[in-house]
Amino acid sequence: MEGRPADDSELISRAQRGDAAAYEEIVQRYQQVAFRTAYVITGSAADAEDAAQEGFVKAYRALGRFRAGAEWRPWLLRIVANEARNRVRSSGRRHRLELRLTEGFRPGDAAPSPEAVAVALDERKRLLAMVNALSDEDREVIASRYFLELNGEETAAALGIPEGTVKSRLSRALARLRARVEEAASA
Amino acid sequence: MPDLEDQLISLAPTIDWPPTPARLWGGAKQRRVEGAFRGQNRWALAAAAVLLIVATLLAYTPTRDAIADWLNVHTIFRRTEMPPPSPSPLPSGPPGRYLNLGTQVTLAEAQQGVPWTILLPASLGSPDAVYLQQPPSVPSGGEVSLVYVRSDIKASGLTGVSVLVTEARGRVDERYFQKTLGPGVTIEQVTVNGHSGYWISGRPHQFVITDAAGNPYPETLRLATNTLVIDEGGTLVRIEGDLSKDQAIQIARSMS
Repeated sequence: MEGRPADDSELISRAQRGDAAAYEEIVQRYQQVAFRTAYVITGSAADAEDAAQEGFVKAYRALGRFRAGAEWRPWLLRIVANEARNRVRSSGRRHRLELRLTEGFRPGDAAPSPEAVAVALDERKRLLAMVNALSDEDREVIASRYFLELNGEETAAALGIPEGTVKSRLSRALARLRARVEEAASA
Repeated sequence: MPDLEDQLISLAPTIDWPPTPARLWGGAKQRRVEGAFRGQNRWALAAAAVLLIVATLLAYTPTRDAIADWLNVHTIFRRTEMPPPSPSPLPSGPPGRYLNLGTQVTLAEAQQGVPWTILLPASLGSPDAVYLQQPPSVPSGGEVSLVYVRSDIKASGLTGVSVLVTEARGRVDERYFQKTLGPGVTIEQVTVNGHSGYWISGRPHQFVITDAAGNPYPETLRLATNTLVIDEGGTLVRIEGDLSKDQAIQIARSMS
């Protein structure tokens, strides 16, 4: 039976020594965040899949340059996001990112009253529609930070900007979103 | 009306992402074979041709270094010459420092930073490191992590951490609970000192807790080991480690 899961740095150093199974495990751990990051940038699941695949291939080839002790997530996300941006650039078209909410969470589980759930769901849908309607730049930084839950360093890597720029870009994006929310509330 | 940032954070667990394609890595190879233009064979042939050229050039010793410089293949050579794998040392610094638990603080500082009385498991003694994390990535009120290294409890991977106890204000929302735990994970309801909770066994990676306002927060289970979650009167205590159910419950019972 399997033992405890290895931690990232152990897997990475094993992969650096040529252990393909270790890299496979790394891919499994990070494929979701890699794919979703690429999706936020390309707006297309097919392009995101290609970008994430290519990103993992490039990261594998570049493993020798990964420093022990460095943060793996931003390093990987930078490679994947670059692939995603290249794809958008080379195809000359960008799909409009349309994030949606899951209808999931079926009643029957222990849950608040159906009315409360419906109202909350409506509000959430409205807010997400406003995020979708923002400019690409604003939407990307908000989606990275809040929906992908990337930290500052990872957001910078995903957006290809310096870490110091993330904060200012985020606060401008939030201000524009807030303005739309307030406008809608007063309408 | 909750703060805009809180509202955005609360959307995260309910975003309907397109399904992540299974096995992006293995899939990459397969797709390359299928695609005529990007075919694996084409790459393999090209790679073989390059290797042949490199090998031929390298046979002429006087220019080996120059060519290696030109092709920037020193690293590749060095990598193949690496010694066989040896057990890696534990990371230096305080235990748990690579687990993204927030800022390392003293227990007193952690207590000043959160509104509830931090519960300590007497059976484990004093924590070896304490971390404090503040919103927005954790529920309002913050989150405290207690890290324990104990010789009688197997440490998780190279983190060197035997037991991780995490505390935050919130509750388990069963709407999200089962959905987010992942496959191969079993959940069992338990009661410890009159408080209800769950014993989650398998290799759980994430579950969702909700704060007082009902906002969901996805929480990463850092050690991805068996986990005991107990609702201690509004403070959600999570005990992660390579523990049996009895061991975890014994730790939870000793908390005060």
